[in-house]
Amino acid sequence: MNTLIILSAVGVLALFSEMLNFKKALGAIILLGLVGAFAADVMAWNTNRHYYNEMMVVDNFSVAFTGLLIVITFLWFIMSPDFFREPSSRIDHFALIIFALIGGQLMTSYNNMLMLFLGIEILSIPMFILAGSNKSDLKSNEAALKYFLMAAFATGFLLFGMALIYGATGSFQIQNITQFIKSQQGNIPVMLVAGILMMLVGLAFKVSAAPFHFWTPDVYTGSPTVITAFMSTVVKTAAFAGFFRLFSMCFESSSATWANTIWALSALTIIIGNVTAVYQTSFKRMLAYSSISHAGYMLMAILALNQYAQGSILFYATAYSISSITAFAVLLLVSHLAGNDSIESFNGLAKKNPLLAFATVLAMLSLAGIPPLAGFFAKYYIFTAALQQHYTGLVIIAVMGSLIGVYYYFRIIIALFKSENDDVVIPVNNTFKVFLVVTSVAALLLGIMPQLVAGIL
Amino acid sequence: MLQLVWLIPVLPLIGFLAIGLFQKKFTGKSAGIIASATVFISFVISCGLFFQLSSAQTIDYFDWINVGSLKIPISFLIDPVSIVMLLIITGVGFLIHVYSIGYMGHDEGFARFFSYMNLFIFFMLILVMGSNYVLMFAGWEGVGLCSYLLIGFWFKNNNYNKAANKAFIMNRMGDLGFLLGIILIYVTFGSVRFSEVFSGAAKLPDNQPVIVAITMLLFIGAMGKSAQIPLYTWLPDAMAGPTPVSALIHAATMVTAGIYMVVRSNILYSIAPPTLEFITVIGTATAIFSATIALTQTDIKKVLAYSTVSQLGYMFVALGVGAYSTGLFHVTTHAFFKALLFLAAGSVIHAMSGEQDIRNMGGLKKKLPITHFVFLVGVLAISGIPPFAGFFSKDEILAMAGVQSKPLFILLAVTSVLTAVYMFRLYFMTFFGSFRGTHDQEHHLHESPSVMTMPLIVLAILSALGGFLGLPSVFSEHHLFKNYLSSSLTVPSSVIHSEPSHYFEWAMILVSIITLIILIAITYNRYVKKGYVTPLAEINFSKTFKTLYHKYYVDEIYEALIVKPLYWLSDMFYKVFDLKIIDGTVNSVNKGVNAASSTLRLMQTGNIGFYIFAMVVGVILMLIYNLYGK
Repeated sequence: MNTLIILSAVGVLALFSEMLNFKKALGAIILLGLVGAFAADVMAWNTNRHYYNEMMVVDNFSVAFTGLLIVITFLWFIMSPDFFREPSSRIDHFALIIFALIGGQLMTSYNNMLMLFLGIEILSIPMFILAGSNKSDLKSNEAALKYFLMAAFATGFLLFGMALIYGATGSFQIQNITQFIKSQQGNIPVMLVAGILMMLVGLAFKVSAAPFHFWTPDVYTGSPTVITAFMSTVVKTAAFAGFFRLFSMCFESSSATWANTIWALSALTIIIGNVTAVYQTSFKRMLAYSSISHAGYMLMAILALNQYAQGSILFYATAYSISSITAFAVLLLVSHLAGNDSIESFNGLAKKNPLLAFATVLAMLSLAGIPPLAGFFAKYYIFTAALQQHYTGLVIIAVMGSLIGVYYYFRIIIALFKSENDDVVIPVNNTFKVFLVVTSVAALLLGIMPQLVAGIL
Repeated sequence: MLQLVWLIPVLPLIGFLAIGLFQKKFTGKSAGIIASATVFISFVISCGLFFQLSSAQTIDYFDWINVGSLKIPISFLIDPVSIVMLLIITGVGFLIHVYSIGYMGHDEGFARFFSYMNLFIFFMLILVMGSNYVLMFAGWEGVGLCSYLLIGFWFKNNNYNKAANKAFIMNRMGDLGFLLGIILIYVTFGSVRFSEVFSGAAKLPDNQPVIVAITMLLFIGAMGKSAQIPLYTWLPDAMAGPTPVSALIHAATMVTAGIYMVVRSNILYSIAPPTLEFITVIGTATAIFSATIALTQTDIKKVLAYSTVSQLGYMFVALGVGAYSTGLFHVTTHAFFKALLFLAAGSVIHAMSGEQDIRNMGGLKKKLPITHFVFLVGVLAISGIPPFAGFFSKDEILAMAGVQSKPLFILLAVTSVLTAVYMFRLYFMTFFGSFRGTHDQEHHLHESPSVMTMPLIVLAILSALGGFLGLPSVFSEHHLFKNYLSSSLTVPSSVIHSEPSHYFEWAMILVSIITLIILIAITYNRYVKKGYVTPLAEINFSKTFKTLYHKYYVDEIYEALIVKPLYWLSDMFYKVFDLKIIDGTVNSVNKGVNAASSTLRLMQTGNIGFYIFAMVVGVILMLIYNLYGK
């Protein structure tokens, strides 16, 4: 709870900093605030308390995911200082990111449907603005508009689903709905089934599962790269936390009604994400499809819902976010220099800047799921969890998808080592170097000792 | 001292990493000095262990592999057997390191050479110190790797690379047997730790089929590493490496790993009499077979290489008749005199500017006095002239074999005679007569620097006196070596339990001395008095000589029977299986995915209307399936 208060204070402070005139110190204050919020979050471990008339609950699941969100946001602030020096107003962006993070925290710790809805909206509305924050770029404007229109459409489904569920059960409270489902003993009323499916649509949109993924490539490509990085890590993790929480804690006993649907969504997402990524020529767009395919793998954890599922989805989100943010960080530097974000602009990076190339190689290998990197164990845990529930067919599809994944991730690695005649040296400042080293070490360390993260839930 | 045990292998490892990673930073002789120093400190610690250790100790450090019921710790077993090996590896290893500072002094790969040598010492120490079969196997593979790297040290010569490949591949065949043996041990005993395996085996009766299988598989590994028939042909070719490598790896230490492994597993071997018989047969055959080849070789190092194969055969005979301590005793004395012979041969080659053919040598006695003297000590030791080291260990093997079977004794005695003949032939042709090399070579002849001769002298002293560690019972009641090892060794129940009688031993000693003196006289007469030199042209060879000279054409037979068919088969697999089936599949999958990708990509029209339409279709399908479909 203190986490939420600290974050809100930082967010409000960021809003008022223009008036109070301490713009320059704001970056440091926010980083400090994030550290404080993280500390408060860690303190809440094993407390399991309810807040606001049971609207929110701080259990270990929410503590773990909130911690992850804060850490990634911290890394994000480290990697994107340049973004705030752009002409567009810097204060607003700080505050918007912090508010998005608050929304993310609500999505990990809601105990009531309304809180889930609030969280999603608090997270989404800043993202609409940020997606369009490059005002002079037509693509950025297009991204914001598309994101907003489609998200509004999907929110409609989500709210409609909640309404149907309320109609069937008479409550927004998670425990009450769970109890109602249990009391029906498998004979679930149609209205509730429809409600669950509608909510599923809304959430599937948020995590960009096919066929509700169409917004993702366009929005990811059009938004400024740093914002895309934030979307594909923090927003995605928060959406999955909310998704997983809802289906594991609320709808678990009705799994017969939605398991096959998620199975299909997962398979379709894995296939479409991976296959379409193959043909992309833009690194950023490829990462967008890659992010879709990873959503497909993470859906498998929601499908499995056994004792390994929680740890495995947390580990997957961690491994994916770390490698993903590294990839975006490198893209940020490279595209800035090359003027576009095509895969060709990575050619010869190994010579131009070995550290960048090394970090990219590790990130790509981890995303592709090559041992001993974190991404390998992430897939391993999720596939194991799914196999234990006998979803063999889905695991086979997922493994084939990973194989295709290797193909497009390795295209980047090959590009890094292509010989290029111009000897441009890419300057990298020290903060950035530290960032790359930290994320690379983390990807390796989590691969060697996956239990560090996967074991805590 | 036990707290320092971990330093014994770690120091050479540090040496390897430091020298290997910063090769260019080490100028002059510094790499050699550092490498020698690490091995020397390990030697000092090993000496400390030798004096302080009262009983076998297992020291656990941490879990290396921990999967299900399989637990493999990094842990060392320190007992008399491993201490003997430690002393040989670090002691002889140190001397050879020092010698190499001189021998390799002008080589451009000086630092690389010493990094490999230190790495070898590290793996060899892991092999003998490991307290479980997997750790032993790790060391076993590691020394194989170092052997490969050092045989092919001068990689610019492609023949040397081929020799390195040959050594590696032949060893891999043996290793497969070893690995299967380890797996079978795990299946049988549920553990690969020596303590648990041996205590499990101690409860079993003789002749269990599974134990026979395990010991046979392990012995196949030993056949590869210790160059026994049929996996011996790599060792003579391995002489392509620098001479100190031949001395350290291919004479004193690595090739005796097979013997060490059998001695270490003696509890298993003692309850598997068929394997012991098999070992005896292989050992005897190898001993006599390679001794006959050694009679005709003209390359100074090849003679020594075949002699090593032959001596390894001897050691296996000792193990085969259940005399484990005798086998290890011969390992020890052989390490002294064979390292000495190789290093002295290296000194000769050094003086001869790289010449290795003894037909081009001769008369080096005066030019290389120290080398000549120590070489003579080595020759006397290996030929079994009392009181030099080889006499005691070899006669002990003969005596132990004589107790078991008379034909075995006769075969080994004949081999012993052959050994004396080829060694003295080598000695006389190299050091006596007149110089037969080119004028340039004669001009350059010089005694080696003291950094090379000092280790030679130390090894000569050891070769001269090392035998007193194990005096036969006719001289002394106390067999120091045997008593020291007795706590770690067993005696198979299947062999005849009786000590050779004093009468037998005296007779054997006298007969062997007289035979040897006669033989030396004959050899002297032939090679010095008559000045006979093996002709340079093959046309002048007799038929028997030619067969021996070509090593019974074994390499050619292997080539025709195994290598050629294998090449053919792999070519077939490449053309049909690899190109057509695998590449075909992969490429068509690639094409399929690409085609699918280019089609699916088109769905991303950029048109929101279409996106929402697709979403709605998805929702409708979901609802239909869930509400009506079930």
